[in-house]
Amino acid sequence: MGVSFNQVSKVFADGTVALNKLSLEFDKGEFVILLGPSGSGKTTACRILAGLEEATQGSVFVDERDITGLPPRERNMSMVFQNYALYSHKSVYENIAYPLRVRKIAKGNIDSRVKDIARVLQIEDLLDRRPSQLSGGQAQRVAVARALVWNPDICLMDEPLSNLDALLRLQTRTELKRLHDDLGHTFVFVTHDQEEAMTLGTRIAVLNEGELVQFDIPRRIYHEPATRFVAEFIGRPAMNIIEGEITEGLFKADVFEVPVTGQPDGPVAMGIRPEQIILKDGPTDEAIGFELDMLELVEPDTLLFVNKGNASMVVRVMRDVGDLVRGSQIHLEIPHRFQHFFEIGDGRRRL
Amino acid sequence: MISRGWRMAAVATLVVVLVVFLTPYIWIFLTSFKTRLDALADVPVWAFTPTFEHYPKIFIDKGYLPLVWNSLFVAISSTLLSLTVGTPAAYVFARYDFPGKEDLFFFFLTTRMAPPISIVVPMFLLFSVLGLTDKPIAVILAHTTFNVSLVVWMMRGFFADIPREIDEAAMMDGHTRGGTFLKVLLPLAAPGMAATAVLCFILSWNEFLYAFILVAFEGRTLTVGIPGLVTPHGTLWGQVAAVAVVATLPILLFTFLVQKHLVRGMTFGAVKG
Repeated sequence: MGVSFNQVSKVFADGTVALNKLSLEFDKGEFVILLGPSGSGKTTACRILAGLEEATQGSVFVDERDITGLPPRERNMSMVFQNYALYSHKSVYENIAYPLRVRKIAKGNIDSRVKDIARVLQIEDLLDRRPSQLSGGQAQRVAVARALVWNPDICLMDEPLSNLDALLRLQTRTELKRLHDDLGHTFVFVTHDQEEAMTLGTRIAVLNEGELVQFDIPRRIYHEPATRFVAEFIGRPAMNIIEGEITEGLFKADVFEVPVTGQPDGPVAMGIRPEQIILKDGPTDEAIGFELDMLELVEPDTLLFVNKGNASMVVRVMRDVGDLVRGSQIHLEIPHRFQHFFEIGDGRRRL
Repeated sequence: MISRGWRMAAVATLVVVLVVFLTPYIWIFLTSFKTRLDALADVPVWAFTPTFEHYPKIFIDKGYLPLVWNSLFVAISSTLLSLTVGTPAAYVFARYDFPGKEDLFFFFLTTRMAPPISIVVPMFLLFSVLGLTDKPIAVILAHTTFNVSLVVWMMRGFFADIPREIDEAAMMDGHTRGGTFLKVLLPLAAPGMAATAVLCFILSWNEFLYAFILVAFEGRTLTVGIPGLVTPHGTLWGQVAAVAVVATLPILLFTFLVQKHLVRGMTFGAVKG
């Protein structure tokens, strides 16, 4: 039971392949994130699920019912749009009530349902206003209220937070998460923001160039990225990737050398997250010497940009770095358990 | 801030424009109350004893009142017909892609490029084959030919102004495509439709050539009635002016009524929240 994409492809009239044989399955009640850069096909996947876009090939099932050819109104789904798409000629109340009216819900029920959802989203005071009198955050809540008021099977959200300013985005994010925990609706949420994805999702589908790269819980996406693309897309600053070669347990790139375990010999891209590199106070057996090239304060952390020969890395340290200046020699430990290895060619994770 | 000098220049320009546009109208308005002698005076007379004989004379005695109803009937019918046909077409142009779309759209404009005089004779022949000459329906259809293209051109802009997401939101809310158009997009485009309707009405109300060629007796419109006042004994300027004044009344009225929408409509920002 749940939602499944079966080999869904979408080719636009101009020949662009937006989705290439997407197969994806998830259950009701999940908060699924479609994550990817622009052009990854995430919005297309969402719109195909909504019925706003027709799949060129493949099929979509919800609860074992083939919905591929159904118009949006027969899919029991709602959608929150990036620009909210409120009806500017109707009051907030009527905007929220509209799906109930179109779906011919008994008049007596409409009022209580509108007021209930308005209470949940704390917009009871706004019901008499016009959309033009709302701030971005308020309009966003109204759009969510309109999407949830009729209890659809699935609520789709296409980058709903990207028009909000930074602080409001964080607040709304938290509220969406609470809403999901409290109401248990199924959400499909499209975003290009990895932080949004990591905090909101029960599972994240990472897409790139129309293909599904990895579909997993946030923890695994972070700790076991399936490809170099996922590794670099998740986490800020991005994971350091150094291309080199392993020979007999030693990874080598120019003059940069680090011992590795359990990896066969051959050319490889090694990854290590900036926040998982350990800054040592002085030389130790495990530590490698680097030259400090730049230093950025991101209170309370510090970003260190370091070089060793051709190899350069970013290190995020969560403590006072004292008197380090450009050109200092510093000593970094790259723990074995945080090392990632990817194939040079297709970027796939080495086992 | 606009500087004082520019402000003055702007006001002066407006005054000049106003004078240029209003003088003929005021002239006609005054003439409609002048006696024949005053109207033809060599040095224009500004102060005169008004006479009210022209209005009852032309509308009651000479029976021009039905011409007002004819004009209204033709203008309103042609406006409604043009909107009914043109608005869905405009919606399709604004929302759908199909081969040759822009060419077809341009073709609508070209129907307005030919001088009406070149079309009116074939049109007359067509209507006489159909047995429709001297019937208001002929004029209504003729006026619809140019008003439809106006509606398609203007309404496409208004629909294009409405974000596509509104259509999609309406479909997610449970509407069919048709329902989306009728229940959501039409109300949103209403200000634009009002502006378009007024323009259609004015064009049809003022139109002379088609009306003149296509109807001669019963279905005559007001504009067609005016040349009848050019008689072998001279032009009855007082009555011509009286008809002209009455002919401008609906236009004044409509323009004031939809003034706000007209401005918003012409600047194409009608529905941005």
